[in-house]
Amino acid sequence: MDTQSYLPVQPGVGMEENFLSLDDILLSHERLPARTECTFPRLGFLEKTTDSQDITEGTKMELPLWLSKGLYERKRRVLSVELPKVYREGWRTIFKADPNVVDLHKMGPYYYGLGSQMLHFDSPENPEIAQTLLQTFIGRFRRIMDSSQNAYNEDTSVLVEHLDCLEKTLFRSGQSGLNSFQSWEKGQASQLTASSLVLNYRKRKMTDIQP
Amino acid sequence: MFCEKSIELIRELHRMSDGQLPAFNEDGLRQVLQEMEALYEQNQTDVNAAKAEGRADLIPSIKLRHCCLLRNQRCITAYLYDRLLRIRALRWEYGSVLPPNVRFHMCAEEVQWFGNYKKSLASFMRSLGGGEGLDITQDMKPPKSLYIEVRCLKDHGEFEIDDGTVILLKKNSQHFLPRWKCEQLIRQGVLEHVMS
Amino acid sequence: MDPSEVEFLAEKEIVKIIPNFSLDKIYLIGGDLGPFNPGLQVDVPVWLALNLKQRQKCRIVPPEWMDVDKLEEMRDLERREDAFTPVPSPYYMELTKLLLNYASDNIPKADEIRTLVKDIWDTRIAKLRLSADSFISQMEAHAKLDNLTLMEINTIRSFLLDSLNCMYKLRSNLQPGSSKGQLTDY
Repeated sequence: MDTQSYLPVQPGVGMEENFLSLDDILLSHERLPARTECTFPRLGFLEKTTDSQDITEGTKMELPLWLSKGLYERKRRVLSVELPKVYREGWRTIFKADPNVVDLHKMGPYYYGLGSQMLHFDSPENPEIAQTLLQTFIGRFRRIMDSSQNAYNEDTSVLVEHLDCLEKTLFRSGQSGLNSFQSWEKGQASQLTASSLVLNYRKRKMTDIQP
Repeated sequence: MFCEKSIELIRELHRMSDGQLPAFNEDGLRQVLQEMEALYEQNQTDVNAAKAEGRADLIPSIKLRHCCLLRNQRCITAYLYDRLLRIRALRWEYGSVLPPNVRFHMCAEEVQWFGNYKKSLASFMRSLGGGEGLDITQDMKPPKSLYIEVRCLKDHGEFEIDDGTVILLKKNSQHFLPRWKCEQLIRQGVLEHVMS
Repeated sequence: MDPSEVEFLAEKEIVKIIPNFSLDKIYLIGGDLGPFNPGLQVDVPVWLALNLKQRQKCRIVPPEWMDVDKLEEMRDLERREDAFTPVPSPYYMELTKLLLNYASDNIPKADEIRTLVKDIWDTRIAKLRLSADSFISQMEAHAKLDNLTLMEINTIRSFLLDSLNCMYKLRSNLQPGSSKGQLTDY
């Protein structure tokens, strides 16, 4: 069967996460450079560089996105979060010049997701960041579409490796549209086939047996 | 950092993106719950101190632990929910009887849930078609003909078809059978649909 | 949608056949068929035509548009125009495949027809990609899909919908305040 019956919860993509989405949970585990703006008593053991009992004010730490989001307050200064390099002005200029040259997998892999999430933290640069995210997506769209439909008749593996998670999902959905059409053209669409899930289980069983 | 165990649970599922069900990680789940208990107790202590001694400086730490509690809660809920989605899919891919190696990966509650899902699906299907019942797991693709040519990929023993005839499904044997009788066996990889 | 489901819909289209048997009118839920008389043209749905053909009970009359001259004209027009030109049948691709696979002996110049239809398809799909790209890059909110067929839309549907969904989310980022202040996800 081409259509899998397992349909995982989709990521939220924009500023809102999807609570039950595995992708979003992994995205919100991305670490951000942050600086404490107050003391966190009795939690010194979380920060390995000090022997202090507390996390003192002004400590630089890498905190996961979910925790930074949870602690951040606009009115009270509890935490300041640094913008990851790829969203700063230097990189924004590169994206503006040619969004297609950037290896978003290496720079991400959650370039769009994390970028959207960064908008939760107050920054004068936010409008610029949002604009760059959108323009980058638009600028890279054609290549993703054409290569997923194999319009270039070339090896796409290098291109795919350079895609951000979101783009990779799009690439795959483009490819499955093409594949199912091609198998119809070859007359294979009406053939009943074994469930790929069942086959994968069997493969795994084989490798379990082999030492 | 806190919540490292719970993200491990999520990674475990995410690695099997095709929908396979990994073994229920009882140990990992217990460790997360233990961490949550510890976080809760520490917060109780600090909240009491903040109230009784007016220690407002403890509030940031209380908040941090609270965030971790909620994070663990989210990860566990997502872990269990995603497993249910996978278990539901198994009903459609394997049919109502699961092979032991798949069942083995479920916890007792999941086995029970699968049973309940199976039952509600069955009673829904019985209610269709004016009391006649309709198997909606059949004909996932529009059928071209009532009978199809199939080849046996492995020995499957005896098999009874509509008119009561019993045929022997022996490896490499070829048969012309009613499509609706074969569909599930094809999905399970017992038979192969031979196209003319 | 799976292409086999699109093909299933195409099988409801009507074609003309010339049966070589007699049979009274038959009454079906989907409508009455027949009567069938040897040598007399009769309209039937494609699924029945193919079934009869496979049992050598009839000859299929190809649809009028399934003709080399007409298709060449259509191909040239499709290549000249920027917009999608009207197609002879909403299921031209599916019908071509079905009829040529099962009844190529009833269709003159079957191979040429196959190539021509494929050419038309390729031209249209290239146009579809081009317009999808300009749709995205100009951030349009709606598009006309005049003259596109179900099979054509189907090859790009999930990709385009997913992309538009992403773009919508990234665009809503530009309007802060819509979801600000809700730091509820941990």
